[in-house]
Amino acid sequence: MPGPRVLITAALVSLMLMMPGPLIPCPDAEDRVLQDPAGRSVRVPADPRRVVALAPSVTEIVFALKQAHRLVGATRFSDYPAEAEQIPKVGSYVRLDLEKITALAPDLCIAVKDGNPVDVVMRLEALNIPVYAVDPRSLDTVMTAIRAVGELLNAPEAAASMVGEMQRRISRVRRLAATAETRPGVFFQIGVNPIVSAGTPTFIHELIIAAGGRNLAAGDIPYPRFSREEVLMTAPDILIITSMARGGLFEKVKREWMAWSDMPAVRNRRVHILDSDVLDRPGPRMVDGLEQLFGIIHPGLGNGE
Amino acid sequence: MTTSAIFRRIVWVSTPLLVLLAAFAFLGISVGSSRLTPADAFQALLGRGPEPDMLTNIIWRIRLPRVILGALVGSTLSLGGLVFQALLRNPLAEPYILGISGGSAVGAIIGILLGFSRVPGVCLTAFSGSMAVLALVVLMGRGGIRLKKDALLLSGVMINAFCSSVITFLLSISQDARIHNILFWLMGDLSLPDLAQAGLLALIVLPCFLLIFRYANVMNLLLMGKEAARTMGVNTGAASLVLLLATSFMVSATVSYCGLLGFVGLVMPHLLRLVLGPDHRVLVPACILGGGAYMILCDILARVLPTQGEMPTGVITAMIGAPLFIYLLKRSRI
Amino acid sequence: MTPGKKRPALEVRHFSHGYRETLVLKDLSFAVDRGDFFILIGPNGSGKTTLMKALAGIIPAAGSLKVLGRPVESYSRKALARHIAWVPQQLPLDFPFSVREMVLMGRAPHQGILGFETREDMAVAERIMAVTDIGSLADRKLNCLSGGELQRVFIAKALCQEPDILLLDEPTAFLDLAHQIQVMDLLEQLKQERGITIVMVSHDLNLAAMYGDRLLLMRDGGILSLGSPNAVLTFSLLEAAYGCVLLTEKSPLGDFPRVTTVPGRIAKRAVNRLCRQADGLDAVAGDPSREE
Repeated sequence: MPGPRVLITAALVSLMLMMPGPLIPCPDAEDRVLQDPAGRSVRVPADPRRVVALAPSVTEIVFALKQAHRLVGATRFSDYPAEAEQIPKVGSYVRLDLEKITALAPDLCIAVKDGNPVDVVMRLEALNIPVYAVDPRSLDTVMTAIRAVGELLNAPEAAASMVGEMQRRISRVRRLAATAETRPGVFFQIGVNPIVSAGTPTFIHELIIAAGGRNLAAGDIPYPRFSREEVLMTAPDILIITSMARGGLFEKVKREWMAWSDMPAVRNRRVHILDSDVLDRPGPRMVDGLEQLFGIIHPGLGNGE
Repeated sequence: MTTSAIFRRIVWVSTPLLVLLAAFAFLGISVGSSRLTPADAFQALLGRGPEPDMLTNIIWRIRLPRVILGALVGSTLSLGGLVFQALLRNPLAEPYILGISGGSAVGAIIGILLGFSRVPGVCLTAFSGSMAVLALVVLMGRGGIRLKKDALLLSGVMINAFCSSVITFLLSISQDARIHNILFWLMGDLSLPDLAQAGLLALIVLPCFLLIFRYANVMNLLLMGKEAARTMGVNTGAASLVLLLATSFMVSATVSYCGLLGFVGLVMPHLLRLVLGPDHRVLVPACILGGGAYMILCDILARVLPTQGEMPTGVITAMIGAPLFIYLLKRSRI
Repeated sequence: MTPGKKRPALEVRHFSHGYRETLVLKDLSFAVDRGDFFILIGPNGSGKTTLMKALAGIIPAAGSLKVLGRPVESYSRKALARHIAWVPQQLPLDFPFSVREMVLMGRAPHQGILGFETREDMAVAERIMAVTDIGSLADRKLNCLSGGELQRVFIAKALCQEPDILLLDEPTAFLDLAHQIQVMDLLEQLKQERGITIVMVSHDLNLAAMYGDRLLLMRDGGILSLGSPNAVLTFSLLEAAYGCVLLTEKSPLGDFPRVTTVPGRIAKRAVNRLCRQADGLDAVAGDPSREE
């Protein structure tokens, strides 16, 4: 009995047979094969002209290296510097828009390991778009990422000098912090409800330590939850609340804490609100964040920058 | 061989639905986040057009798999709902009712937390999860050597509830990046598989469609109750088991690829039954074609409606499906 | 079996069925002849519906059952459905099939793997709908029918199986009087015109008396009596079966008994007289020579 199902099957089979092979430009003799920080071997063009940044931190790095003219696409929250807003958006870094990326005909995509979903990266590669993954997680790995991107985009000198400058500033902070008598206990509040802080395996922990503080949420859990009592029990000398510069809500949170006058941080009026962009995004501005933190933790020991 | 009236009826019903499916499929290929016109899409299908490389890639390797997947998912879920409504003689039955949603979700989340990529890792863990749960539900639902439908239903509901709590727990211990993946899986996502994977799914579910069609008249007879069906020559035990296994298998395979898209399996059978009557020989092809068309449409809306990015397709199916179901409730006497 | 005599439609030997310690059917043996109008009667719990379901193959029973001379196990389920059709009392009507669709379902035992009806199937269905007088209802939905009409639809569906034996489970239970007679007349017509063996469970002793060729009186899972209505519907047998006083006499309508239930107040007054005249009462009025 002939039926619609047979027709559908036939159509599907013929579609599959007609599927074209990869049609993106063939590999160039000029291409280089590089090992990216995620350990993958990637074939990248010698001079990438159409780059898509798959995370805001990558966009920042590219701009900082003055290679923004190569960028043809970036993810949605790439908002720093302001010029980045003009670049065509390709979805968010957890939900990349495959079609938009392909439509831009990129010759290179720069991804973030552990941020971008693996499947999308694989599909991009199946479409013969090279994807180079950096892994900016900590102070050191951000430097590595900056150097890697510099090499990718043919700006190794700019990368080297940027990294050198950052390292100088970090060493300065570390040096000054080492002269401090005490390491104040810092409670770094990320979430409002529930209260979430940053544990040892995080970037923020590294910054706190480098800035001469003691992270009261140190431990194996990356983002541990605290109840209000538990926070009070840690008796933080300094309480830092991060915000997205949205004012309102976080001022309210600060006022709520100020009611607990037993807490050393409240008694000594050391409850601060910090712009989270600088601290959340492991990128070129992280040293600014470090210096800010240092200024909060050890205000007397010379300024940060 | 003279064509029987029922065969002609099936053709009369299936042909417009097939046309609708094809139309929506073409619309689905023409629509997307890059600025390609339907004319471009048509050119690409024929194998020529401006900038052939990029265009062809977008049409063939991004949009077409998505449309094919949408059709397969919509067909499978609608047909699954139809079969379970007949098997369990319960109008609220839907394809996830026997624990498939809970089991596959737990399996998928475990796969994502272990760091597997969607294909094949997470697909396999999701599929194993749902098959394991199915085995458990069937074991719990046995009354002697036969399957008791109420026991099956209750077991399925209980297991889904239990899995829900497991899912919530797993979510609470997950870290940021993984949570995104998990949530997208739970909401249903047609965007990830490519053409070869869509083809593989087709190879898996199409035989199930044929098998279920062979049992379409048996489903009509089963609606009269097992006793009456038995006296009319139906081997009710074997038939129920075959239908149960084939349906669960194809639904599990689909869910493993695309996550949990809801409401399609509940609403489509009722809608089609309202329009076409309760004869399963007509409803089976109608669910396959109509369900596929519906899902493609929902996916198009999911891609087109939001100004920024796209909505999860599962949100659209729920937003359309729920009011539609309420309307059907009032129209017919469900 | 005497050679030359037709094999009985149904032959039951040592039928038993029960749950754990309770036996619902206790070692029953009997035969139903072809073309018989065979009616099972007895109080609630006597096992008549269980026996009917066992005959239909719906529930299992220990013992042997022969259908048309062959053991029931020798038939495939589908083949058996071409010989025995079961008419249920009620069916779940969740889904709105039409009368024609339901009647056509009865053709299932004659259809191929996909269950598509042929022209012949449609013709058979039309004929049977005419016989059962539901032709005018063909396109109506099942949930719009009266009890009597529904019962005739179920009978029509069963007839589409073209069975030799029709099993009915209290087909008149929920029908009003006119429809009861209608259904019974139809069954009688089927028996006479087509030679179909009718096996029926009835709670109505008078209907059983008027239509039955042979009655099986059951109590507690066993057979109290098997025979013609005149033989079975006696005062003593009925009292033994039902545990109450029932007045039996010859019916003015024909050569079969009429059974009347007796209210308590009359029974108390007349019980002695009834007992004394038990034999006399059993005697058909105007025919004192007939004694059982």
